[in-house]
Amino acid sequence: MSITIQNITKRFGNFVALDGIDLEIPTGELVALLGPSGCGKTTLLRIIAGMETADGGEVLFSGQEATHLHARDRNVGFVFQHYALFRHMTVFENVAFGLRVKPRKERPGNAEIRKRVMDLLALVQLDWLADRYPSQLSGGQRQRIALARALAVEPKVLLLDEPFGALDTKVRKELRRWLRRLHDEMHISSVFVTHDQEEALEVADRVVVMNHGRIEQIGSPDEVYSNPASPFVYQFLGNVNVFRSRVHGAWAEVGRGESAGDGETLAFVRPHEIDIEHAPVANGLEAQVQDVHPIGPVVRVELAHASELIEVELTRERADGLGLAKGQHVWLRPRQVKVFAAPEAAAYPLEEGGSGI
Amino acid sequence: MNARRANAEPRWVRLTLTAVALGFLALFLGLPLVAVFVEALAAGVPAYLSALADPETQHAVLLSLVIALVVLPFNVLFGVAAAWAIARFDFRGKSLLTTLIDLPFAVSPVVAGMLFILLFGARGWFGPWLSEHDFRIIFAVPGMILATLFITFPFVARELIPLMQAQGREEEEAAVSLGASGWQMFRRVTLPNIKWGLLYGVILANARALGEFGAVSVVSGHIRGETNTLPLHVEILYNEYNAVGAFAAASVLALLALVTLVAKTIVEWRMQKETAMLQADLPPEAVRSEA
Repeated sequence: MSITIQNITKRFGNFVALDGIDLEIPTGELVALLGPSGCGKTTLLRIIAGMETADGGEVLFSGQEATHLHARDRNVGFVFQHYALFRHMTVFENVAFGLRVKPRKERPGNAEIRKRVMDLLALVQLDWLADRYPSQLSGGQRQRIALARALAVEPKVLLLDEPFGALDTKVRKELRRWLRRLHDEMHISSVFVTHDQEEALEVADRVVVMNHGRIEQIGSPDEVYSNPASPFVYQFLGNVNVFRSRVHGAWAEVGRGESAGDGETLAFVRPHEIDIEHAPVANGLEAQVQDVHPIGPVVRVELAHASELIEVELTRERADGLGLAKGQHVWLRPRQVKVFAAPEAAAYPLEEGGSGI
Repeated sequence: MNARRANAEPRWVRLTLTAVALGFLALFLGLPLVAVFVEALAAGVPAYLSALADPETQHAVLLSLVIALVVLPFNVLFGVAAAWAIARFDFRGKSLLTTLIDLPFAVSPVVAGMLFILLFGARGWFGPWLSEHDFRIIFAVPGMILATLFITFPFVARELIPLMQAQGREEEEAAVSLGASGWQMFRRVTLPNIKWGLLYGVILANARALGEFGAVSVVSGHIRGETNTLPLHVEILYNEYNAVGAFAAASVLALLALVTLVAKTIVEWRMQKETAMLQADLPPEAVRSEA
């Protein structure tokens, strides 16, 4: 089932949670709504589920108007960050719930319910926990039961609100790969909300980056990472160096300092898109090595240019080849620079180095 | 001297505090309870039993139980509705409603009784209309039920509001997204989650309903064998210097109180067990790797 969102707005008092959202989610895609907390991503998910009412705009399921459809009639599976398992029911009864509350004529018999629940529990590999209570399960197990419960009613859309947010890193990584496989097997449309860029980039077919109730960019994980549409996206997805620069014709003179007037822009360069050379290079930037940190497979080099800090990431081989030492003078050559006009960029507070992965 | 933990109070302080607390309990709670039974049985068991067999005493016991039985379902209904509204929805006047729920706690029961006389008494707002239609509220059982309702209204709601707020609405939302109707959601998810809190509130309300004196006294008119509840009957007997009768009736009240106390303890214990179960967060476990 495809989901179409048209010009959805939502306010909470004076706070604008969603400001004219348009989004198309095609059938069978796994879409991530990515953004910092308070950007409206969860509100959007809850509006799709029918748990929140939009102030304006429309939601369409397969082209059919669904804006005023009650949550119970939308046939969506919803997975909560904190699982929301029915605490007084066994795992089996939790998963069976959606089948047991069906109207009498649609309700399967007990044997059929038993079979379907056990099949789902086998799918999430927790059939051995059928008689336990939610409180006796670990976080990862609870979330898989919550997923099985949502799948029991054979939803056309699966909505997940920070599904792995409450889990520790190792379980989180395993579960998201597992979710990806599950999504591919079930042939349903899935939308999940996350503030974790790594999670969004790894799992989703498409990433919707949101900020302040608006969509900043929609694209494949590769697109949003390597071709960010706005300074916000650049900074939210991965580390970045920001340079104040001036535009001379077609290229930007990179370098921080005293530039003013019409031509003022901000240039964004990712740390791994900068090369370090010992010899002067054309369009290069002279800098002094401040520190060298080998971190696993990469080496992070901190350099100073006119008292500003620049971060560069090199492969270990490249770093070994260069043999960098503190205090050395080197030349930086950016392989890819993205330039935004300053007023647009100035709308966002620039944190040095952006947000880290 | 024995080694003791650095943060422990000296032994004599602990002993003194414990002794004071226990002494207070014995003097103000234990002793009166014992006195009730001693006085009731002062003239011997046969006198005690015949005092209990007195038709007016039996009627008072019956009336007290009837009033409690009528009042409790209303308490459940109102308490759940009010707690639901306050815990689940945001609306204008929510804080006013929360304050109003506490009103019966703040108002003196006698004033509450007067209030009903003002409304339904012979010269009250609705008095003339009521006497025209030959319907008695004041100095009759309906008035006593109303007064008891007023006094006991807060108990269930007070108990449920924090409980429902703490539990949040996610389980209910999950139920709805799985296709449950409003009633199915309430019966299968909400009610099981609040049942012990509800029962606890009902027990407190019941204890208050049985023991209420002031408000009921004002509206009852003290008609013997008709509008006397147990507490009112105790007072009448005592004023007539019928000590054995008064204390025999009081002993019934005391027994009811003890039963309530036991029930309350059991429910509290169950609630604690359930809360502990909810909070038992086991460490996350890695996903079993597949073949």
